[in-house]
Amino acid sequence: MSNEIWVVADLTIDGKVRKATFEGLSEARRKLAVKLGGQLCGVLLGSGVSGLASELGKYGAEKVYVIDNELLKDYTPEGYSIALSELIKKHEPHIVITGNTSIGQDYFPRVAARVGAGLTLDAIDLDLTDDKRLKVRRYMYSAKSIATVEFLDHKPMMTTIRPNVFKPEEASKNPEVINESIDIKPERILTKTVEVKRKESTRPELTEADRIVSGGRGMASGDNFYLIFDLADAIGAAAGASRAAVDSGFVPYEMQVGQTGKVVSPTLYIAIAISGSVQHYAGMGSSRVIVAINKDQDAPIFQKCDYGIVADLFQLVPALTEEFKKLLAQQ
Amino acid sequence: MKIVVIVRQTPDTEAKIKVASSGNSIDIEGIKWIVSPYDEFAIEEAIKIKEKLGTGEVILITMGPARCVEALRTGLAMGADSAIHIKDESFAFTDPYAIAKVIGQEIRGLGGFDLILTGKKMIDEETGQVGIHVAEDLGISHIAIVTKVELSSDKKKVTCQKEIEGGQVVAEVPLPALLTCEKGLNEPRYASLPGIMKAKKKPVKEVTPDNINVETLGLTKEALGQAGARFKVTKLEVPQVQRKLKVIKEAEVPEAAKELVKLLREEAKVI
Ligand SMILES: Cc1cc2nc3c(=O)[nH]c(=O)nc-3n(C[C@H](O)[C@H](O)[C@H](O)COP(=O)(O)OP(=O)(O)OC[C@H]3O[C@@H](n4cnc5c(N)ncnc54)[C@H](O)[C@@H]3O)c2cc1C
Ligand SMILES: Cc1cc2nc3c(=O)[nH]c(=O)nc-3n(C[C@H](O)[C@H](O)[C@H](O)COP(=O)(O)OP(=O)(O)OC[C@H]3O[C@@H](n4cnc5c(N)ncnc54)[C@H](O)[C@@H]3O)c2cc1C
Repeated sequence: MSNEIWVVADLTIDGKVRKATFEGLSEARRKLAVKLGGQLCGVLLGSGVSGLASELGKYGAEKVYVIDNELLKDYTPEGYSIALSELIKKHEPHIVITGNTSIGQDYFPRVAARVGAGLTLDAIDLDLTDDKRLKVRRYMYSAKSIATVEFLDHKPMMTTIRPNVFKPEEASKNPEVINESIDIKPERILTKTVEVKRKESTRPELTEADRIVSGGRGMASGDNFYLIFDLADAIGAAAGASRAAVDSGFVPYEMQVGQTGKVVSPTLYIAIAISGSVQHYAGMGSSRVIVAINKDQDAPIFQKCDYGIVADLFQLVPALTEEFKKLLAQQ
Repeated sequence: MKIVVIVRQTPDTEAKIKVASSGNSIDIEGIKWIVSPYDEFAIEEAIKIKEKLGTGEVILITMGPARCVEALRTGLAMGADSAIHIKDESFAFTDPYAIAKVIGQEIRGLGGFDLILTGKKMIDEETGQVGIHVAEDLGISHIAIVTKVELSSDKKKVTCQKEIEGGQVVAEVPLPALLTCEKGLNEPRYASLPGIMKAKKKPVKEVTPDNINVETLGLTKEALGQAGARFKVTKLEVPQVQRKLKVIKEAEVPEAAKELVKLLREEAKVI
């Protein structure tokens, strides 16, 4: 068993390193590496990914393991599980971390089962007990409670982390790059990727966005959502929606925030014509600053926000967009 | 076509969560229990596939205390054919890995299956691992978080659509396979009155801890329950977020907008 802490890089469809990886490296360095007396390492899985090692170094990785294999070009649960579990068996790290993304959630359970590790998902806090067991905090019961979960003696200890919670912080290192070749038999990969469709959007992704503007049922139609998009674009935000807005057919499901939608934690969340149901709050309650705009002064959201304006959105939102534009133009 | 649906009972989404006196779990007093919403998509999809093929069998399986039979009855009333209830109070706190092993053993006992469906995550603990662990345990492929399911005409393959960050993926796996279901896949039906009546007569097999051969699962007896878990919850808290609650009322629109932007810049420092 080594004292290494691994952060496995999460890549976008375009093969870029996701912010969640830098967040994981930064938090692991701040909260785990020193206490454990261990080395912080990055792991890259994919095809043609060696060049990304220096990016992991920029956020503190002292060593980067690279498995560069043609069979890892498209993500498949089999390929990634084999690659990572064999690597873990060989080097026996103490802790293994990745982002709680659609990919991380998909293969980490399989890897944990293969190497006999404990695994928690979607951690919002990382720490070590005095005897060096991993201790995480995570939401349970749709953000209505936070559990502190301590690992018992199973090793390695694995967790995924919620994107956008930890602060990325550069810590320039020139990492030692270790190329590993893991034998992956093509016949063991049963999943076939038929098609990958990219979403054409100039706005940030909801789960990674630093600012989000969301619209609810009170938007009254899909056409009116231009008000949300204009405001979002003025401040570089992602655009979201409540379930009522999605179910009414105003906007697609991928924009839904909440218990049965996306879980987000931006610095700034602006909820427009959203009443503030428990289910919506479950998806955005961990935002740092919540702003509510609603015409009903008794709307529950006014009991859960930092700033609010009681007003009709159709008058207020255009004015607000103008104010933001004016302010940001001055810079 | 034999389709297994793994379902789980969870507290109603409106439930007010109180921490029990133990400090590490919830107080279940007065809680209303429902079928985990994502599992409803799984049940609906299984029934739809059976209806489309005009033949087949839908078997529900759950693990948990006596109350969980209600979740099974709901699924049976929607149209599933039979159910298995792995029943014991001491299962609370069993870790997802052990749960999957036990569920896997029961599924193996069915004498073959074609498809396993479950929710993408439970809405209570939200650890989101059981489904994929079951697939790993049974040595079959999985596709997670699916929003569209298409069975090949020879019933040997399934092609699914799933949402990922920044796009959509269409993937294909051979059967048997496990799929975890996402919202948008279908609209779960409500149980009809005749459905509810019929459900009462449908078979629910009970499995008790004595029926579980832990050794063949590579587990110890202690693995079922907290004693054998790989982690434990040491504390459960209700988050106390202090919000500022500064609400601007009865202001003219331009002034209200100006005031808000000023607060966000100077006080909250987020713009
Ligand atoms: C199992 C389950 C899961 C769920 N999951 C989710 C989820 O993931 N996400 C989610 O959001 N919901 C979810 N819901 C639904 C949730 O309970 C609410 O129904 C939903 O959030 C309401 O959306 P809303 O606030 O847009 O609509 P409403 O509650 O109808 O609120 C609309 C608001 O708009 C205001 N308004 C109207 N017109 C104007 C105007 N011109 N100017 C300003 N304000 C105006 C109104 O005063 C009102 O407060 C779920 C429910 C269940 C049962
Ligand atoms: C931190 C922690 C706290 C816990 N606290 C409690 C507690 O207070 N009370 C308690 O009873 N247990 C508790 N447990 C045990 C808990 O029941 C299992 O960990 C849980 O079932 C794991 O499921 P999951 O969240 O991974 O399910 P997920 O993987 O999120 O669920 C996916 C699907 O798996 C299926 N599934 C999950 N569990 C079951 C099951 N038991 N039977 C049938 N299908 C299932 C469902 O269909 C579900 O949609 C706790 C576990 C952990 C790790």
